[in-house]
Amino acid sequence: MRRVRSGSDPVATLSALENSGFGIWVRESGSLWSYPTIIFLHSLGLSFLVGMNVALNLRLLGVAPGLPLAPLDKLFPIMWFGFWMNAVSGVALLIADATTMMISPVFWVKMTCIAAAVVIMVLIKRQLFSTPRVEVTPLPLRAKFLAASSLLLWAGAITAGRLTAYLGPVAGLKGR
Amino acid sequence: MPLVESFSRWIHGTRLSWAVRGGYPWLWPACETLHFVGMALLIGIVGLLDLRMLGFVKGLPLKPLNRLLPWGIFGFAINLTTGFMFFAGDPFQYIHNAVFWFKMAFVVLAGINVGAFYLTGISRRVDSVQGGEDVPTSAKLVAATSLFLWIGVMYWGRMLPFLGDAF
Repeated sequence: MRRVRSGSDPVATLSALENSGFGIWVRESGSLWSYPTIIFLHSLGLSFLVGMNVALNLRLLGVAPGLPLAPLDKLFPIMWFGFWMNAVSGVALLIADATTMMISPVFWVKMTCIAAAVVIMVLIKRQLFSTPRVEVTPLPLRAKFLAASSLLLWAGAITAGRLTAYLGPVAGLKGR
Repeated sequence: MPLVESFSRWIHGTRLSWAVRGGYPWLWPACETLHFVGMALLIGIVGLLDLRMLGFVKGLPLKPLNRLLPWGIFGFAINLTTGFMFFAGDPFQYIHNAVFWFKMAFVVLAGINVGAFYLTGISRRVDSVQGGEDVPTSAKLVAATSLFLWIGVMYWGRMLPFLGDAF
């Protein structure tokens, strides 16, 4: 005789999340304020998080060399705002499709890209903006390496994110 | 609009339309991905210029910041191209969808806003603004309009499947 404890069964936990009141509301309520608004906010956060990273990285790679680096420190709060906006909206979207997303390899590729890109964002902040040597020219090769890696990882995150709607297990309607 | 109808019928018959519609199954997702990359470029660069003119990241001087602009225009070009491919692939899901026309109207308004920025001479006055200085109020108005319109374009784009029934 096997006793099944739902708490130790990950699939049951994911299914419970997906079928919670909140999960059903996000996925099935048809309200403009549920899935449509949440996914719009997810795009908005993406634009600011990735967009400002791209601007900073282009500068580090040598585009717009006349642009002083020190004031670009102010981009970090905008990036973190975008990050938290997407962490919150992302968790809401994940709850709504928990059983599909958590077994989707391409979703985990996305998460890995984001984790690595955020680590690089923190490294850029620490290595280039936390010292008074911020205006040092030319920038060390290390800075260009970080910038290039960041661009690649964000492109990877966007690609994998878009492909969760097409590759592997897909929740709801393909391509939405 | 008979012209839009006949254009749609024509483009639906092209090989490009067939390819996007599913002739090459990877093409639509690839265009979707590029459409989001272009969006990040456009909002990243143009949005940064707008935010600077509105007084965020105020330490940045405007002239060197403008050197980033070609990358924002590149993002727009990517989105114009991929957007046209979506339209070619399935024109009829868009032309009868009000949300699609709202999106196009916002893109045109954003273009008019950029035109006003350059043609009225505001851009020349902004060019000499150094780090820490304010831009003229007219430029702030252009920047606020730009941010509103591009975020609006994104909103209408995201709403295509929900308020309309396109994707």
